[in-house]
Amino acid sequence: MSRIGVFVCHCGENISRTVDVERVAAQVGKLPGVAFATDYKYMCSDPGQNLLKKAIIEQKLSHVVVAACSPRMHERTFRKAVESAGINPFLCEMANIREHCSWVHENREEATVKAIEIVGMMVERVKKNRVLPTITVPVTKRSLVIGGGIAGIQAALDIADCGHEVVLVEREPSIGGHMAQLSETFPTLDCSQCIMTPKMVDVANHPKIKLYSYSEIELVEGYIGNFQVTIRKKARSVDEDKCTGCGLCMEKCPIKKIPSKFDCNLGMRTAIYVPFPQAVPNTPVIDRENCTKFKTGKCGLCQKVCGPGAVDYEQEDRLIVEPVGAIVVATGFDLYTINEKPKGSMIKGYGEFGHGKIPDVIDGMTFERLASASGPTGGKILRPSDGKEPKQIVFIQCIGSRAREKGISYCSKVCCMYTAKHTMLYHHKVHDGQAYVFFMDARTPGKSYDEFWRRSIEEEEAVYIRGMVSRLYQKGDKIVVMGSDIAVGVQVEIEADMVVLATAIQPQKGADTLAQKLGISYDKYNFYSEAHAKLRPVECATAGIYLAGACQGPKDIPDTVSQASAAAAKVMTLFAKDQLEREPIVARVREAGCVGCFYCKKVCPYGAVEEKEIRDRQGNLIRVVAYVNPGVCGGCGTCQATCPSKSVELDGYTDEQIVAMIEAL
Amino acid sequence: MTQPIDTSIYIAITEAIRDEAKRLLLEGQVSAVIGYAGARRKGSAQPVIISQAEDAAKLIFSPASVNNLALYLTKAKKEIPKNGKIGIVVKGCDLKAIVGLMGESQLKREELYLIGVPCAGVLASTAQPSTGLTAETIAPKCTECNAHLPAGCDYVPNVQLPAPLQLEEKYIAEITRLEALTPVERWAYWKEQFAKCIKCYACRQVCPFCFCEQCLCDRNKPQMVESTPRPAGNTAWHIVRAMHLAGRCAGCAECERVCPMDIPLNLLNRKMAKELKELYAYEAGFEVNDKGPLSTFDEKDDQSFIK
Amino acid sequence: MHSEKQKHSFEPKIIAFVCTWCTYAGADLAGTSRMQYPSNVRVLKFPCTGRIDPVFILKAFQQGADGVLVSGCHPGDCHYIAGNFHARRRFAAFRKLLEFVGVDLNRLQFSWVSAAEGGKWVEVVTDLTEKVRAMGPMAEFKQLALEEQWSGTIGTPELKEAYNAI
Repeated sequence: MSRIGVFVCHCGENISRTVDVERVAAQVGKLPGVAFATDYKYMCSDPGQNLLKKAIIEQKLSHVVVAACSPRMHERTFRKAVESAGINPFLCEMANIREHCSWVHENREEATVKAIEIVGMMVERVKKNRVLPTITVPVTKRSLVIGGGIAGIQAALDIADCGHEVVLVEREPSIGGHMAQLSETFPTLDCSQCIMTPKMVDVANHPKIKLYSYSEIELVEGYIGNFQVTIRKKARSVDEDKCTGCGLCMEKCPIKKIPSKFDCNLGMRTAIYVPFPQAVPNTPVIDRENCTKFKTGKCGLCQKVCGPGAVDYEQEDRLIVEPVGAIVVATGFDLYTINEKPKGSMIKGYGEFGHGKIPDVIDGMTFERLASASGPTGGKILRPSDGKEPKQIVFIQCIGSRAREKGISYCSKVCCMYTAKHTMLYHHKVHDGQAYVFFMDARTPGKSYDEFWRRSIEEEEAVYIRGMVSRLYQKGDKIVVMGSDIAVGVQVEIEADMVVLATAIQPQKGADTLAQKLGISYDKYNFYSEAHAKLRPVECATAGIYLAGACQGPKDIPDTVSQASAAAAKVMTLFAKDQLEREPIVARVREAGCVGCFYCKKVCPYGAVEEKEIRDRQGNLIRVVAYVNPGVCGGCGTCQATCPSKSVELDGYTDEQIVAMIEAL
Repeated sequence: MTQPIDTSIYIAITEAIRDEAKRLLLEGQVSAVIGYAGARRKGSAQPVIISQAEDAAKLIFSPASVNNLALYLTKAKKEIPKNGKIGIVVKGCDLKAIVGLMGESQLKREELYLIGVPCAGVLASTAQPSTGLTAETIAPKCTECNAHLPAGCDYVPNVQLPAPLQLEEKYIAEITRLEALTPVERWAYWKEQFAKCIKCYACRQVCPFCFCEQCLCDRNKPQMVESTPRPAGNTAWHIVRAMHLAGRCAGCAECERVCPMDIPLNLLNRKMAKELKELYAYEAGFEVNDKGPLSTFDEKDDQSFIK
Repeated sequence: MHSEKQKHSFEPKIIAFVCTWCTYAGADLAGTSRMQYPSNVRVLKFPCTGRIDPVFILKAFQQGADGVLVSGCHPGDCHYIAGNFHARRRFAAFRKLLEFVGVDLNRLQFSWVSAAEGGKWVEVVTDLTEKVRAMGPMAEFKQLALEEQWSGTIGTPELKEAYNAI
């Protein structure tokens, strides 16, 4: 027989003003199974909690109902309190007579009657509550970081510096990401490579970081603390262990005219190449599509000249399985394809701006390569068409961004600042040139950001024109840019030598496929979704997976680095304990009743249901039943509502508990 | 005048089934064949499981071959020897049940040898088994059948099905009639029907999809459904039964046939099938589906009923 | 706004099955915002609408509910990724079944109420309460619960004799 204690809270006057709390306690005290019922001014206060603990011990209570505010407010408080008095926390329930009663009703009689019923319902429920032990899951203290841009590098270094092993996976032949491509960075104008490359080298030399470049995620299995990740290490055709990075192979390679992706196709590279001189690892890769050896079987020069014999044409993709406990996703961004409508995309493209058709209409990243001292022009701003210095240059902001009719309604966040930076870099390099910027608004929140933007106008003489460009076309060797200046209310026509489009930031291609492998959610643009926009901004809803950088939404470098360190801190929090504790609200299968129809498996949003074979002592298969992995189960209970025989039950919300409540009505 | 239905092909089918069963058992391809055999009364048929080739001559197919033999693969499966494949004679409607059971991991295709029967229809009732099959005596389910010829079987006798007659579709007509009533009138109709129920659970016993080890309705901790044969418990049972079969029922109508109190049980099943077809374009068929209509979803599902 | 409380001859019993993350929190918000609504509703908290078994609705009617509300997170907001999508299909089917056996669907309301929609919670609960109040008590299941298999009249002389012999 249960000995239930009911504690009715006045909440100052918040409850007692409309609910006759003494009457509630008196009435509920008469219910079968209730051994003790009282009311108190503030149950959550120290004296209130002590009253509760004392009553548990003196009255030998078996279960507790606290009739007070919403369980969302104080369930944890009271469960802790009963635990300290020696009762399993899950034998304590709260009856919400404040938010759901005293605050929403004025009539004292009605509110009191309702409160009595609510408490009565919870009394019946708590009778059916079972002792639930905390579930612990072992934690593998290694982590996977996907993406070797600044976000991934920062997260990997932070975690590794704490002494935990990190597996860093990068799709490209070198880490560095987009930041390695940038010339200088706002708002300080320090050289991107100068601050980036030391970090890349740190990654390469860190004893706790295992780097897989030119590799992709093939499969992710398991759950928080216990993931098994299969990595596809693509065939590089060069043995990383043997290669010394001397570069002779690249020197001798006869195929030299392949547009370099790193240089936004402005520069050329060889068929065996490293994307850029500071690449990490500094091991070349053979681009098999363009290599003569792979195309015709002839050549083989690189192999001949390679001293250590590192070139290996026979190399194949390898699959490697790495056990990890946490995953940081830092796959970054890609720039909007402006000239055409990508296949199957909701994005419409901006054919009208001539990108891809007029050679001197370029995007922001291309401008970065032009301005970069290590870029294809050695840092000189020159037109791609004829190599002349542009004397009039037009920057157009918000290409793709903030254009619902074109398919993207968000702001790409960094373009205002990088365009301001571009005007400065341009002015520094072309003293007699003039920069114009077409913009909608200048969005410059951030430390020293607005000052930076103003400097571009006030000191670097950029002309900002508020308004959008309607059309641009080639006229001789000029590009005529037509737009409107809405501040003055006139039409503007500029004969430019070069046009730079600040195109929208988008998630990397294949972001959705990776999300499906990881089991994380993403929005309609394929940006990954955080668990809570404000309070859990770096965690995914899927436990054990964290987000860093622009894969979650457009971000500049400071924000990216902050988020990466935050994600690393979250990983370290997870790794601080050997065992992971979780709320025991999980589904359990009653194997005797399970017939193995696996409806539960079909509806489980977490993939927590496995097939379990039951065998006799001789090892003969008797039947196959469902098994819920408590580490993966999210606790929604969809399985139970779907199970025809109710052979799977969600602890804490069993049919017994719910039916007891319905029957109490 | 009742319209006779041509079942002359059943003679050829009987021959073909016998030959095939004999061959299978002789060659040891199957350990047993589940089919129909004649029973004591003239024209009657009953389920039979044979494991000897000489017993193949017992097999028949007739308008009295009403049973859905898929049942013997689930609930009664423990009775069947586990070694080797099992052959089974299936009508189109029975095959849909087998397909459904495969989708629910209860059967494996490779453990079955399916002998499909081109079927022109069976009797509604076997009370007078020797009555010929007519528009009046035919089972209501057969008037709406879209599965006269089973597909995907291992063997189907090579006979020419006569073109099916256009018969009045009895369930559709009845559902339409009931839908036109007011809720009060419908409640009165079903109340009268459910009041007849004696909770014999014959409907549950005969249903191939009621394969649970322990039925929800037999549980008493908590008692989800009142178990007494009183109107309240009966109504709850029939609602729960229909809901549990929604999106699964193959339409064999065995529940209705075996009901000793003549409750139109398949009417509920047909109604749910109709709704699921309208809502989610789902219909029981010959293709094994990984997920039924109620174990999957589409983000764009109708939610006009949700505020 | 202290309007005079109207006296009604019939106070319906409304049972609400809600998910803890959205609608329960929305109802909490209605409370913290001190909104007012009829006191007829009793709230049962579930982790997710995906956990709500149709049998519970049936059970609620059998236990004397005059109206039932099922409410959870908007599509795409489910804390458990997809529980509400499964629930949506399940209830789309179940309400059709109830309708077919003669339950007036005006007594059964489904809604999406987010944690931010305290006002919507008040609206949904008030509307359902008023609607059901106007309809009168849900007599069908209550009558059923009182009925025995046989009408209670002992019609035939044989039965009468047998009864007397007991």
